[in-house]
Amino acid sequence: MNLRKLLNTKLLCSVLCLPLCTSLLSGCWDARELSELGITSGSAYDWEDNQWKATYQIINPSSGSSSMGGSGGGSTSSPPFITFTVKGKTIMEAIQKSNLTSIREMFPSHSRVTVIGDRLAKRGINPLLDIFLRKQDARETVYVFIHSGDAGDVLDQLMQLTKNQGAGIQLMIEQESKLLSYYPGIRMFELAMNLASESGCAAVPELMLTDSKIMDETSETGQTNLPSRLALGRLGVLKGDKMVGWLSQKEAFGLSFLTNTIKSAMIPFASRPQISEQLDSSYMIQKSTTIVQPRWARDHFIMDIHIKGSGVIHEIGSKVDLNNQAALAEMETSIENNILEVVEQSWKSVKKLNADVTGFAVRIHRSDKKRWRSIRQDKNWDTVFQNIEIRPHVHMDIERTGLSSKSFKSIQQD
Amino acid sequence: MNKKSSAQGPGQDAPTHSVPAPQPLSVSLEANVQEISKRIGESSDVVFRHFTNESLSSSPLAFIYIDGLVNSEMVNQTVLQPLMETVVPKIPDITATDAYNLVKDQMLPIGSVKEGKTLESLLGMLFDGYTLILFNGMTTALAADTAGWEKRSINEPTSQGVIRGPKEGFTENLRTGTAMLRRRLKTSDLRIEEYKIGERTQTGVALVYLEGIASAEVLKEIRRRLNAIQTDSILESNYIEEFIQDGGLTPFPTIQNTERPDALAGGILEGQVGIIIDGTPFALLAPSTFFNFFQSSEDYYQRYDISSFLRLIRYSAFFVSMLLPALYIAVTTFHQEMLPTTLLVSLAAQREGVPFPALAEALLMELTFDVLREAGVRMPRTIGPAISIVGALVLGQSAVQAGLVSAAMVIVVSFTAISNFVIPSLAIANSIRLIRFIMMLIAATLGLFGIMSFLMVLLIHMAGLRSFGVPYLSPVAPMTPRYLKDIFIRVPLWDMTIRPKTNLGKETRRQGKHQKPEPAKKLQKPEGENTP
Repeated sequence: MNLRKLLNTKLLCSVLCLPLCTSLLSGCWDARELSELGITSGSAYDWEDNQWKATYQIINPSSGSSSMGGSGGGSTSSPPFITFTVKGKTIMEAIQKSNLTSIREMFPSHSRVTVIGDRLAKRGINPLLDIFLRKQDARETVYVFIHSGDAGDVLDQLMQLTKNQGAGIQLMIEQESKLLSYYPGIRMFELAMNLASESGCAAVPELMLTDSKIMDETSETGQTNLPSRLALGRLGVLKGDKMVGWLSQKEAFGLSFLTNTIKSAMIPFASRPQISEQLDSSYMIQKSTTIVQPRWARDHFIMDIHIKGSGVIHEIGSKVDLNNQAALAEMETSIENNILEVVEQSWKSVKKLNADVTGFAVRIHRSDKKRWRSIRQDKNWDTVFQNIEIRPHVHMDIERTGLSSKSFKSIQQD
Repeated sequence: MNKKSSAQGPGQDAPTHSVPAPQPLSVSLEANVQEISKRIGESSDVVFRHFTNESLSSSPLAFIYIDGLVNSEMVNQTVLQPLMETVVPKIPDITATDAYNLVKDQMLPIGSVKEGKTLESLLGMLFDGYTLILFNGMTTALAADTAGWEKRSINEPTSQGVIRGPKEGFTENLRTGTAMLRRRLKTSDLRIEEYKIGERTQTGVALVYLEGIASAEVLKEIRRRLNAIQTDSILESNYIEEFIQDGGLTPFPTIQNTERPDALAGGILEGQVGIIIDGTPFALLAPSTFFNFFQSSEDYYQRYDISSFLRLIRYSAFFVSMLLPALYIAVTTFHQEMLPTTLLVSLAAQREGVPFPALAEALLMELTFDVLREAGVRMPRTIGPAISIVGALVLGQSAVQAGLVSAAMVIVVSFTAISNFVIPSLAIANSIRLIRFIMMLIAATLGLFGIMSFLMVLLIHMAGLRSFGVPYLSPVAPMTPRYLKDIFIRVPLWDMTIRPKTNLGKETRRQGKHQKPEPAKKLQKPEGENTP
């Protein structure tokens, strides 16, 4: 009886082992050696001659400094990456055509940035969003940028201090949003989420070249002051899936206050507004939160925007006694007024573009579901949006004034 | 379980070696000497010596001993001199029996004197270093223990070193081994059972355990398996290990071996059964679970926090040693998206000029390392340094510079190799040497999915293993939380109130509770409150 039980277990085991064998037989169909991969660090999409034009940036591993292993690598004159441009009726067609020119299979998983040409942005980017969300190896975590002009040009530009340009651009936008807060970087999935939200709008930073010349030869990066560099520019506003206009950097900064994306920012202000309106001092915001509270006032929405923050004084250009509470309070008011002005200006431009990049639609939907339903039924969000009145309330605290309690100017005159 | 025990050879009570019916001694001295001489084949190292002592008997007596196995000084002083020089008042009409008793009771100033009635038992004693004294007219002979052959002195263990802790290791001598153990366990509960195993080698095998702490079932099983061994020879403890260990087809060892008397004593104190084998300094410990192989005796000789840390390092080293090359292959051929971009580019740059796929590269380097390692063991000590030059410079650096392998692969292989040496037990370190290759092949065909699947298979296999009835993964699977105090971490000694590996033996308390050292004040406090 024991033997039969044993036999049964054995039989069971061998039957259970059979599926394992099939997995072995089907193995390694998708194995790829590292030397077969074209590691894509960035891509650019544009619309030209009624077809998609895609540019890919492929890392050239043998140009790296760490290419000690292997005799193939080591030549420093070879560029750190190569780019190539393909065209096709659909994006996938363009991508597949890349295999006509490339010796390596495209490997987009390490892609960091995607640049969209403004022609494409004005035409609509829905297909692009779809492919990024659908394709398994496409990364929807790439940062998106808009370039006014031929998007592929940006990818040709060599960068100093980093060989991987895509990663360099990512660092650039991350640093910017952390230290400057003009605008946060937007990733592909965030873009898709924003466009699919109630407001249907998104803001995408501009990636531009500071000069018309493209530095695309390795010998050119030998100079210390590149005549043309990559830079972050304005903020492109998308409505639906089309670009409707730009916000300047200052307007974008105001928008950051409206959308609660300030991480740390510098505010120039007049330290003694009664005496001089000149912006002579700097205040660094270290913490800032924005709470937006919509409320319905008879025929339009009023948005109460409470901006609360704290920071330190970094620079004072006037004669002011920092031990004096009244002087500090005066300075705080001055800072608050500056922020108010930035916010108001930004709101004016946003209203002009008639694109709800502020995310007010989401706020209203959350706070007043009924009215939002009727707005959606009537499809009159644009008019409602135009009638919105904002009431920003700014409160900024000066937490510290730095290492010296007097401005240097006041010491000098004593 | 049933299958395993029934597979263990026939006849539990069969004698260890089958011999023809023992031949009793004959009355004639000459006949006996002739017979022994014939059996031994007149080997040159056997010394036959006839003599007469008037006071005993007019008929001659004979000594037989094997030169080299006996301490000749001892033979001279304790056997030859008393028997040949002592002249006692002559007893008239002395019979052979009287002479025999006289010698046995008065004239042999030696500790162990045995009697032998058959040729076979006498021969056995002869090979153990006894000196035989044969009498004319007697069918029994005396055997005096004069054993004393050249022995290696006690040295520091070469394979299991410690920084802090006893520095002596077992030697090839069984008696030295049991003595070293007894010196550590001065208790009447220590039991030493001796077996002679091997038809031709007659190797002494000592089963050592603590009565009342070792599990009776385990003991019974070990005795049964030892008795069932029918073999020609036992030359090293591995002979015994292979004959008695569970689950033939497994890469994992289920019996520990140790060269350290303190480790053996520690195991015995925790309920394991030790087996000391004559002719090898390596003693066995059974039953052993997977986690026993990660415990080093030094764990208990240094602070518990550092011991716990080191133990966790050992476990991670185990996994690194088993998986690192496989993970490297899997990640670089299947899951490139898992790597940070900079690392990927750096790896890709290194692989640019390498002519082989990652698997071939890894296999090449791993095999090279195993060749180097084997060469390092076998090489005569004088040309040892050559190995390190060839290994480090030629195969490491030059291979990378020549573009045959990538630098990353050399790092992977070296780290794998180093990790393998972290594991205190060579037995389990060797078992994963083979698993590593299987892992690499699977990683190259199925990637991480394959690695995980194979790990699962390994886990199932290990969970099914038993060491003398003790589950191999206990006390983790089946989980017994109170035994976990000495598995992944080692808690302070004062907190190990019950034997931590109790599932190996009986669950017994080994020390009192509340032994945590505390300031005396705290203890006196309640008294102080009472007095005023």
